[in-house]
Amino acid sequence: MFNGIAGGGAEDLPRLQSTMRAIELACSYIQINTNPAAAEATILSFHQSPQPYKACRFILENSQVASARFQAAAAIKEAAIREWSFLSTEDKGGLISFCLGYVIQHANSSDAYVFSKVSSVAAQLMKRGWLEFTPAEKEVFFYQINQAILGSRGLDVQFIGIHFLESLVSEFSPSTSSAMSLPREFHENCRKSLEQNYLKTFYSWALDAALSVTNKIVESNSDVPEVKVCNAALRLMHQILNWEFRYSKGGTKGSINVFSDGMRSDTASSRKTECVIVQPGASWCDVLLSSSHVGWLINLYSSLRQKFAFEGYWLDCPVAVSARKLIVQLCSLAGEVFPSNNAQMREQHLLLLLSGVLPWIDPPDVISKEIEEGRSGSEMIDGCRALLSIATVTIPVVFDRLLRSIRPFGTLTLLSLLMGEVVKVLLANSNDKETWSYEARDILLDTWTTLLASMDGSGGNAWLPPEGMHAAASLFSLIAESELKLASASATTDEDDADCLASVSAMDERLGSYALIARAAVDATVPFLTKLFSDRVARLHQGRGTVDPTDTLEEVYSLLLIIGHVLADEGEGETALVPDALQTHFVDVVEAGNHPVVLLSSSIVKFAEQCLDANMRSSIFSPRLMEAVIWFLARWSFTYLMLVEDCNLGSNQLQSLPSRACLFTFFNEHNQGKFVLDIIVRISLTSLMSYPGEKDLQELTCHQLLHALVRRRNICFHLLSLDSWRNLANAFANDKSLFLLNGVSQRSLAQTLVLSAYGMRSSDASNQYVKDLMAHMTSSLVDLANNSDLKNLAQQPDIIMLVCCVLERLRGAASATEPRTQRAIYEMGLSVMNPVLRLLEVYKHESAVIYLLLKFVVDWVDGQISYLEAHETAGVVNFCMSLLQIYSSHNIGKISLSLSSTLLNEAKTEKYKDLRALLQLLSHLCSKDMVDFSSDSIETQSTNISQVVFFGLHIITPLITLELLKYPKLCFDYFSLISHMLEVYPETLAQLNSDAFNHVLTTVDFGLHQQDVDIVTMCLRALKALASYHYKETKAGNTGLGSHASGQTDPNGVFHEGILSRFLRTLLRFLLFEDYSTDLVSTAADALFPLILCEPNLYQGLGNELIEKQGNPNFKTRLANALQVLTTSNQLSSSLDRLNYQRFRKNLNNFLIEVRGFLKTK
Amino acid sequence: MSDEEHHFESSDAGASKTYPQQAGNIRKGGYIVIKGRPCKVVEVSTSKTGKHGHAKCHFVAIDIFTSKKLEDIVPSSHNCDVPHVNRVDYQLIDISEDGFVSLLTDNGSTKDDLKLPTDEALLTQLKSGFEEGKDIVVSVMSAMGEEQMCALKEVAPK
Repeated sequence: MFNGIAGGGAEDLPRLQSTMRAIELACSYIQINTNPAAAEATILSFHQSPQPYKACRFILENSQVASARFQAAAAIKEAAIREWSFLSTEDKGGLISFCLGYVIQHANSSDAYVFSKVSSVAAQLMKRGWLEFTPAEKEVFFYQINQAILGSRGLDVQFIGIHFLESLVSEFSPSTSSAMSLPREFHENCRKSLEQNYLKTFYSWALDAALSVTNKIVESNSDVPEVKVCNAALRLMHQILNWEFRYSKGGTKGSINVFSDGMRSDTASSRKTECVIVQPGASWCDVLLSSSHVGWLINLYSSLRQKFAFEGYWLDCPVAVSARKLIVQLCSLAGEVFPSNNAQMREQHLLLLLSGVLPWIDPPDVISKEIEEGRSGSEMIDGCRALLSIATVTIPVVFDRLLRSIRPFGTLTLLSLLMGEVVKVLLANSNDKETWSYEARDILLDTWTTLLASMDGSGGNAWLPPEGMHAAASLFSLIAESELKLASASATTDEDDADCLASVSAMDERLGSYALIARAAVDATVPFLTKLFSDRVARLHQGRGTVDPTDTLEEVYSLLLIIGHVLADEGEGETALVPDALQTHFVDVVEAGNHPVVLLSSSIVKFAEQCLDANMRSSIFSPRLMEAVIWFLARWSFTYLMLVEDCNLGSNQLQSLPSRACLFTFFNEHNQGKFVLDIIVRISLTSLMSYPGEKDLQELTCHQLLHALVRRRNICFHLLSLDSWRNLANAFANDKSLFLLNGVSQRSLAQTLVLSAYGMRSSDASNQYVKDLMAHMTSSLVDLANNSDLKNLAQQPDIIMLVCCVLERLRGAASATEPRTQRAIYEMGLSVMNPVLRLLEVYKHESAVIYLLLKFVVDWVDGQISYLEAHETAGVVNFCMSLLQIYSSHNIGKISLSLSSTLLNEAKTEKYKDLRALLQLLSHLCSKDMVDFSSDSIETQSTNISQVVFFGLHIITPLITLELLKYPKLCFDYFSLISHMLEVYPETLAQLNSDAFNHVLTTVDFGLHQQDVDIVTMCLRALKALASYHYKETKAGNTGLGSHASGQTDPNGVFHEGILSRFLRTLLRFLLFEDYSTDLVSTAADALFPLILCEPNLYQGLGNELIEKQGNPNFKTRLANALQVLTTSNQLSSSLDRLNYQRFRKNLNNFLIEVRGFLKTK
Repeated sequence: MSDEEHHFESSDAGASKTYPQQAGNIRKGGYIVIKGRPCKVVEVSTSKTGKHGHAKCHFVAIDIFTSKKLEDIVPSSHNCDVPHVNRVDYQLIDISEDGFVSLLTDNGSTKDDLKLPTDEALLTQLKSGFEEGKDIVVSVMSAMGEEQMCALKEVAPK
């Protein structure tokens, strides 16, 4: 037997004792913080020492110092995982049974953390050996555990047994498993094996343990030790149900119609509150459903509830919390655990749970009052969670029906009452953000969302039952009123900006949920919103000039946001359709003028139109209100304005509805559409011209509203025929006040106007439109650049501002390149090429302008490059190269003398941004080789893009210092460009001179040592490309990388190793000795394989060197074998094809598992 | 550089020292006059005066000569003064014992009123580079009647 684990002979005793003393001393030093570095070093070297098991065992059994025992357990784990591959089978089993035996024997002593540690060590080792142990071997361990859990050896042992299973399950669950430097497949196999063979057994054991102590708990009136066992068992059951079940699902999933039997299994909606659906599969039916499992749990909890008055029990005592958690979890039970076609059984199950949960939440007003008076809110919140869980697995009709058998109303009514109560409490304590009501509201909102979102997407044919609709309507009016009250209360407070920003997205989400509730009862809620809105508008008009309107303004602001959410969905880049509920309801409406949605929309448009009047603007339309108006118009017009009937396909039955037709045609091009479009454009122009300096408003107008309009092709046609649009374009070209917009808005506006050119009838007309639009900008740049006094003139602030503004506009136009307007934009860029280079010269110290210049060129090249003919490409490429050269000549070797560290940092950041832009420019040029729409035939003499890009890299790489590569985005861009270039054009790299070549490869070496997995992957791919290129070329008799690979002797007679040899060394060292993610192994294998083939002799040498270094003869042979196997097993041959790469990946994985353990041992 | 030496003659002596510009248009990286000092803006944030009031800009800026930090709040539709910051490159022709430099101007005369920066390491680098015969270009920044060296650059001899 291996003497590392068995009890040692007497001769070892002094040595073991001295080790124990050393560790104890180190532990106590750490605790009192005396020389912690040395103490840590002692412990670390203990962990890393070879086969420390005997000492560990000695410490665990003899030491009085708890932390020393803890460290001993940790050392067992670390050493065993590391040395696992060369431990004997008995030793492996011996270690596990020692740990298990240890916890069971010492079950009743204190120092819980030591036992947790030892039992988790046992769990980890068991997992490590899981796939190699025979069933019989596992059986031995589990027999022991089962005996413990059965309770015959006392409560403490019972507890320990359950606790061990908890560690084991968490070790096998992928999200909580600990790293073992093994491939993912290992973890996956373990998980599968546990799920299929053991999980259910563990659950029954836990259940049995809990059952065995239930009576004692129910009968006692004080805290009994059985509670601890019960709590542990409940926790284990909860943990097991939390398991992400994968393998127990049958293949029949697709065939079950999830809606027909009133249950569903989708989890598509995004919610704040997590609700994991529990789907353990058919085999679990007997444990979870057939026995009286749920009944027992409900009874247990209700008897616990009665004990809350006694000592040792309270609402949030651990066992109560665990029981509630399990109840909530069982509410979300779904899937094949229910025998198919047995909807009744599901409803029965849910009803049972609901009736258990009901006392926690019903009656809502009484309970919320109790909580406000000091009771803990956690039970109520768990009740809300249970409702959410039930809502997740049922459709609204079934959800509502559940309660009817025990109450005179449905579950929806209860939900509405409950939430109404929560909203009321929330309104009362609106200042305090960390209250139970916040949490409860979020959960209940999620519950509504879950219920209603499913209806919204199902074609509108599933309505809530009438009573449910009523409940939704009354809840919505309560919510809307309370939002308005909150709004007017907050109107005068000056919110913190940061706080405000964070809450905007939260509010958006909340309003989205409110909108779903409103849409569940549109018949009531849309007229209600119309009334609220007209009330507020009337109040504004009445009080004009006499009363401070701020409160009302804030109410209108909120109202616009709410209505916007109710009427339309966020498109997120897609066309948002009219919500189903609004299409299908209002069936008795036949005239468009009476359609509630039309009425509501028209009243808002009419209100918005008033901002065109200067007096109204100054008295009512504050910048903030305008923001809401613009936001609303953008959202609304995207869904309702000038709909093209065909693209709103509903079912046929829907299309025939007259009410729907009213809604769809009212705002189309033959009806009110053009009129409303005109108003919208005029409002936009007003918001751009009459609100100087209101950046947010202008950005909203440009980005959201105008941009959304021109994205719709049919609207473009109408826009171009409107006078108001012509005014806008005119103002853009000529009016000084639009030069005052900030940069981003300038860009966006230019882009919008260029995009609208699509509305011209022909391509020629479109090009002419763009030309006219931009002529002013280009000519002003050309004039400036040709001015003889440019040098002095350029530095004037007003000129700088003009240049920036024009550049932003050109950039906006460039980014709007489309096939139809490509010519005009190409010519626009062409005409400013020389001015751009000239400005690059005069503004060399003005980094803000330089960056704009670069960004314009980047966007312009990006838009144009794929369309250009050969001669045009050559021109553009030359231009880009001059740009790079001028930029580089200004910046290389420049030292800033500023005394301010802030300004120095700013300068660094500016440089980083410039370089990133230049790298993007090169990447765009690269794309010419991939995407090319030019009419040239392949044979035409064209520019060699790869040479150009390498030349460009050569110019800018000296500027990219290793310091700058610490900026993650720059680093990413740089390495993706490099790895792309090496993969696609290794032959061009080979032609570089040795300085340039070395610089590129120095950075690759740098990249290999980055923390970021993506960067390392890209570098490895670059290496693979390089080595395989060289190997293939030399095999074919060519030179490949030539002297770069073979190494060279410099003039001083010193030999410099070739780069492939250098990287072979680096990569081997990396793989064997450094820490990295196991995800990298495959990519590394792909790079290592061709490197080995290129440098077989060096590889042999390195291998021998490694073997020589090993002191232990046993390891020597193992290493030699492993190295042998690495290059020979799996029929690996020396050709670089897919199959061989695959084989080598496998070999390398095995190799690393085999040798890394002892190579890393000190 | 001391105060009494700042009367430099520039070729655009007639041009005004500052220009008005709308506050909402001044961005990070631009220039602004705060409390009579020319500054570079390092941070701009906007807020509203009350919820339904107008926007105002909050500037944090660094004095380009003294490196002091200055702050200002201006309604974003109002005008701010923006300094006319001029930069001229000169060739370095001599470094005198007392730390002053001799610079060659465009029209062939010399400019001798600027002192070297005080940073030791930089000074040594500059001096040794100069003694090795490297061509060094000095950028001089001037605004609102003050001037200072702001950057150095070695130029490879042609």
